[in-house]
Amino acid sequence: MTGRIAQTIHIVSACWVLVLGLIIFLDVLGRYFFSQPLLGATEIIKNSVVSITFLQLPLAIYRGGMIRSTILYDFFGKNMKRVLRTFASILGLLFFLGTAFSSWGPAVEALAVSEYEGEGALRVPTYPVRFLVFVTSLFAAYVYLHVILLDWTDRIESFIESADAT
Amino acid sequence: MLGPEVIFYSLVILLILVFLSVPIGISLGVASVIGVYLAYDDINIALSILGSTAYDSIRSHTLAVIPLFMLMGEVISRSGAAKDLYTLCDRVLYKLPGRLAAATVIGNAAFAAVSGVAIASAATFSRIAYPEMRRLSYKKSYALGVIAGSGSLGMLIPPSVLLIVWAILTEGSVGALFIAGVIPGLLLGFSFVIYCSITALINPSIAPPLDSMNVGKSYVMQRTELISGLGIISLIILVLGGIWAGFFTPTEAAGFGALGSIVLGYAKGMRSKEFKEAIYNAGRYTAPIMFLLIAGSMYARLLAVSGGITLIQELVIGTGLTPFGLILIMTLVWLLLGALIDSISDILLTVPIFAPIAISAGFDPIAFAIYGIIVIEAGLLTPPMGLLIFTVKSSVPDSSVTLGEIFKGSIPFWLLMLLVASLILFFPSLATWLPSLMF
Repeated sequence: MTGRIAQTIHIVSACWVLVLGLIIFLDVLGRYFFSQPLLGATEIIKNSVVSITFLQLPLAIYRGGMIRSTILYDFFGKNMKRVLRTFASILGLLFFLGTAFSSWGPAVEALAVSEYEGEGALRVPTYPVRFLVFVTSLFAAYVYLHVILLDWTDRIESFIESADAT
Repeated sequence: MLGPEVIFYSLVILLILVFLSVPIGISLGVASVIGVYLAYDDINIALSILGSTAYDSIRSHTLAVIPLFMLMGEVISRSGAAKDLYTLCDRVLYKLPGRLAAATVIGNAAFAAVSGVAIASAATFSRIAYPEMRRLSYKKSYALGVIAGSGSLGMLIPPSVLLIVWAILTEGSVGALFIAGVIPGLLLGFSFVIYCSITALINPSIAPPLDSMNVGKSYVMQRTELISGLGIISLIILVLGGIWAGFFTPTEAAGFGALGSIVLGYAKGMRSKEFKEAIYNAGRYTAPIMFLLIAGSMYARLLAVSGGITLIQELVIGTGLTPFGLILIMTLVWLLLGALIDSISDILLTVPIFAPIAISAGFDPIAFAIYGIIVIEAGLLTPPMGLLIFTVKSSVPDSSVTLGEIFKGSIPFWLLMLLVASLILFFPSLATWLPSLMF
């Protein structure tokens, strides 16, 4: 179930990159040919970068895609490697719990005071992206916990394969 | 706790975590939180760096270039254009000694101009060029060295993720750094081609010449090559020309490049299934890089708030080292780190400290950036962990290839990279001239 969620939000985010390309295309064409840039394009693009990244993180964690150095790791035996992976996952779990914890206050405040950015006709509220960072960080923390469980029950590879197959 | 102590302890923690194989982004984040805690003795301030950086650091119009260029590179990789490009270069260069090796370099350079990651180039050309070179009895280590060495062009020839990360970290212009990479990238590619041809001329047994062209001559073959060749040249003109002429910002160029690659992919026969795969896969590489940028910003904030950077700068400058002594130390650190970790992490760890020192020692920021990127890329060819070497090993369709053979073959390319890097240090205008002409 969580693998499916991670994959679905990854697909949404991957497609969103293509939409960004189209937004930029319309913005530039509008500006050069009709002297009318796309309203709010800059704000949409800025916020999309954060959203795209955080929506893609859970699947990257499941797949072990986070960049790491394996210089010492490769010298260890199977069990020690698992201990090291677990240690890394615990730190990842704490990192994303910390991120979620410290994102919550500013997100609630942004909603309460109607924080927005942009000028004139198009003002983009900041709370959706702030809440997205909170929710996806919480999910990423859960994914690290799940990865530990999958690793110690020797199910991590079959889990990734089944996620890819769908 | 004082700035230098905070930085010392957080660096030690960081290195321990990195060597324990904790993802580099997580290591940077954890070390930064601990560092801020040591500086302020307040866990809430320490944790606040996580949430605020996660939201603020990558919420940038400019950073949209990374997912967009990733998409462009992935679509072009899957379109088969790289193979056509290679055949096209082979066809054009058929009289040149060591022509398949030269075609690998030029094909890589052109591929680099529409893709942002060195590893992608090395993997693609390992599959395309290695079997061809071996079929024509090219010496193994020569063929492998060319592929690994020319893969490094991907990080210098724009659009390159490394150039983007460097520009963001130093608050420089992504467009100017892109344009600055063009001449050094061409110079490096040119020196690789010269090396390949001269060695083949001196010792024909490593790259036996052929009387006739190896490539097919059917009309269909030439037509696909033409589509790929023209398509890639058009994309290069659109993206780099657009930035240079001031028509596009880098983000706009990336948007147009991504859409342009889809048009090229369609012309090359890609349909919805292939496009879906490309879009899906492009995302797989984006998040880890963006996450590294977030974590790198946390580390940069730690360096800033602890006040340690200024003290380190004063300390280094106080040693009385000459500017070139400083550069030598930085180069050694880069080569060492480049052999141990990936290039983006290498930049994130060192550039916030090195760039201010180099600039205060009188180096031009743009020339220094290009110098640094070439040296860091040379690190990817350095034993024991050179990433490009491993990519070639895992991608060549020949299990008898050893890491030693690839390292051995890469040594001349490694030396050429350091030579070109030194040229930029002595003649900074190689990097700064084109950006100075930007509109």
